[in-house]
Amino acid sequence: MSELNWQRTPPITMVFFILREIKRLVSNITNLIPVIAVVAVSGTPAKAAILVAVAYFLFTIAVAIMHYNRFLFAIGDDAIHLRTGIMNRQNLTLKFDRIQQAELNETWYFRPFDLTILSVDSAGAGGNEVEIPGLKTALAQQLRQQVLATAKSSDTAAGKASDAGSEERIEPDYQRQFSLPDIVRAGVIDNKIFVLIAVLAYPLSQLDIMENYIVPWLETHTQWLDTSNWWVAPLLGMAVLAMLFVLAIGVSVVRYYGLSLTIAGGRYQARGGLFTIRTLSFRYHKLQRVQIHQNLRARILGRWTLRVSQLRPRQQAQGQAASQFTLPVVTAPILTDLRRLLKLPEPDSLGWHRISVLALLGPSIWLAVLAPLGAYLIYRQVDSLMLAAVISAGFWLLLQIYIVLRWLRFSYSTGEDWLAVRRGVLSRRENWYPLYKVQQIDVKRSPWLRLLGFADLVLNTPAGSENIRYLPRSQAEHLQQQWVNDIARSHKPWM
Amino acid sequence: MAPEWKSVSKDYQTYLQLKGGFNMAILAAALSVFSIVENIGSWLPDWWILASAWLLLTLFLLLFWAPRRYRFTGYAETDEAMYLRRGALWRLQRAVPLNRIQHVEIKESLLERMLSLSHLVIYTAGSSGADLAIPGLKPDEAERIKSSLITEVANEPEADEPGE
Repeated sequence: MSELNWQRTPPITMVFFILREIKRLVSNITNLIPVIAVVAVSGTPAKAAILVAVAYFLFTIAVAIMHYNRFLFAIGDDAIHLRTGIMNRQNLTLKFDRIQQAELNETWYFRPFDLTILSVDSAGAGGNEVEIPGLKTALAQQLRQQVLATAKSSDTAAGKASDAGSEERIEPDYQRQFSLPDIVRAGVIDNKIFVLIAVLAYPLSQLDIMENYIVPWLETHTQWLDTSNWWVAPLLGMAVLAMLFVLAIGVSVVRYYGLSLTIAGGRYQARGGLFTIRTLSFRYHKLQRVQIHQNLRARILGRWTLRVSQLRPRQQAQGQAASQFTLPVVTAPILTDLRRLLKLPEPDSLGWHRISVLALLGPSIWLAVLAPLGAYLIYRQVDSLMLAAVISAGFWLLLQIYIVLRWLRFSYSTGEDWLAVRRGVLSRRENWYPLYKVQQIDVKRSPWLRLLGFADLVLNTPAGSENIRYLPRSQAEHLQQQWVNDIARSHKPWM
Repeated sequence: MAPEWKSVSKDYQTYLQLKGGFNMAILAAALSVFSIVENIGSWLPDWWILASAWLLLTLFLLLFWAPRRYRFTGYAETDEAMYLRRGALWRLQRAVPLNRIQHVEIKESLLERMLSLSHLVIYTAGSSGADLAIPGLKPDEAERIKSSLITEVANEPEADEPGE
C-alpha cells in the first residue's frame, strides 16, 4: 500500500460541520421534549432556562468545531480513507469498487469558494454514507470520475461504446438539458401539498381551529375586509392553498434548476439546483431498478418521472429518496431514448400478462360485506332508508369499479433478462428489475389462496420487493424454479 | 432440477409444542395475576370464559398448529439453489440462488440446545430483510449444509467484468 497523504478540509468547512451538528440537534429535538416539559411544569425561571439552552447550543457548536478539527481524509489508489471522531476515533476505508453511488453537493455556502461536498454510498457498512466536505470542485469531479470508473476495464465492456476509452469522457453519448418550464412542471407533478391537505383536513375539521382561532384572528387583523360576505373565507382558503402550491413549485425550482442529464460510457449523471448544485451519478451495472412513474397531474401534463435505484442498505430502506437518481420530468421522446439507453426492452414488443380474474373475488367479497354495514351506519345517522341505500350503493359502485380497474391495470412481463410490472389506476407505475439481480424468490399461500389453488410470487431484489399476486400454484412454483435456476447460471455481476 | 424435499428433525415438533406451551403459560400467569388482583382486571370477561378460551388456544397450538407446521417444514438443496418451505396456515416456499448468498450462520437458542437442535440462517442482500432460516436441524446436519454452501459460494466462478 502506498503512502497515504492525510489532508484536512479548508476552514470554511466549519460551516458544514456546524450545520450538520445543528441538523442533528433539530432531528433529535424530540429526545429533549421531556426536559422541556419538566422545565415548563416546574416553573424554572425563564432566565435560567434560556441560559441552559444557549449553553447547550454553544456546546453543540464547539462539538462541531472539534469534529472539523479531527476530520482527516486521504485518497488512495483504490480507496478513500477517513479518520474522524473526537473521543471515539474512527478509521474508515472505503473501496472504490464497492461504492454504489457518488454525489457532489455544491452547497450555497461553498459555491463562492468553488468547493463541494463529495458523498458516497457503499453497499454494506450499515447504510453509512461518507461525506467529505470542502473539496475543490475540480478535484472532487476528478475523484468521482475515478471512483466511478475504477471497476477496472469496465469501459471496455460497456457495449458498443467500448473502444472510445478516454474520448468518451469528453464526448458524452447523450446529453439533455431540462428547461425551466419543465422544472416548473416537475413542481406541479411532485406537489406534496395534496398529501398535506389530505393529512391535515381531518384533524383541522375536528379541532375547530378554523372557527376558534383563525377566523377571529383574521377578523381582528383584516378589518379592511368586509367579513360579512360569505365568499371571503373560502376565497382566503383558496388563496392560502394556491400560495402553498406555488411554494411547492418553488421548492422544485430550487432543487432542480438547470437540471442536466449526461450519459457517457455507462455513467449516468444528473446535475441541477439553484443555490446548492447537486450532482448525482451512478454506473449502469449498479442499477437495480428503474421506475417509470406517472401520476394524474403528470398524465395531464404528458410527462413522466424516472427513478433509478441501486442497492439500498437495509437501514436506509425507507426515506432517503433524496439521494436516489431521479429525473422528475421526462418527455415522451426523452423517455424513449432513456428506455433504449437503459437497455429496457420495447414495452410493446413484450407479452404482458394479467393475473387471474379470481383476484377480484377477495376484495369484492369484503366490499359486498362492508357496503350493507355502511348503509346501516348511515341509516342510523340520517334516518332515511332511501338516502342511506343510495349513498352506500354509490360508494360500493365506485370502489367496485376501482377494484376492477386496478386488476385491469396490473400486468407483468418478462423478457430479455428483465422483469417488468405495471400497475396503477390514476397514478401509473412501471417497475423494471434486472431478473438476474434478484436475491430470493418466495411463493406464498394464505389459507384463502390455498382454497382457490393460487399463490403469490414475491421477488426480493436489492432495491425492494415486488409481489405478483394470484398465480396458479403450479405456475408460481414453476416460475420460481425457472428464475432461480436462471439466476444461478448467470455470471453477470449483480452489485 | 426439481427440488427434492427433506423434512426436518422430529424434535422440531416437540420444540414448537414446548415453545407454544411456554408462551401460553406466560399468558396464563399474566391473566391470573390480572384476575386475582382487584381493580386492574375488571375489564376482563368472566374467569371461565377466559379459561376455556385459553384452553382452546393451547390445544390448538399443541395439537394442530405444531404438528402441522412440522409436517410442512422442509428444505431442499439443488445445484442451483436452496429451498425452504414452512408455515402451518400461511405457507411460504422460499428459494435463494446459491450465487446470491452473502453469509451463512448457525444459531441455537436455549430451548433448541436442550433438544439438541439448531437452525441455519442464510443471508442475502435483499432489502426486505427476509432471509432464509431453516429450523429444526440436528447440529451435524446444519454443519454439513453450512460447509457445503460455503464451498459452493467459494467455488463460484468469478463474475464477468461489469458493464456487460
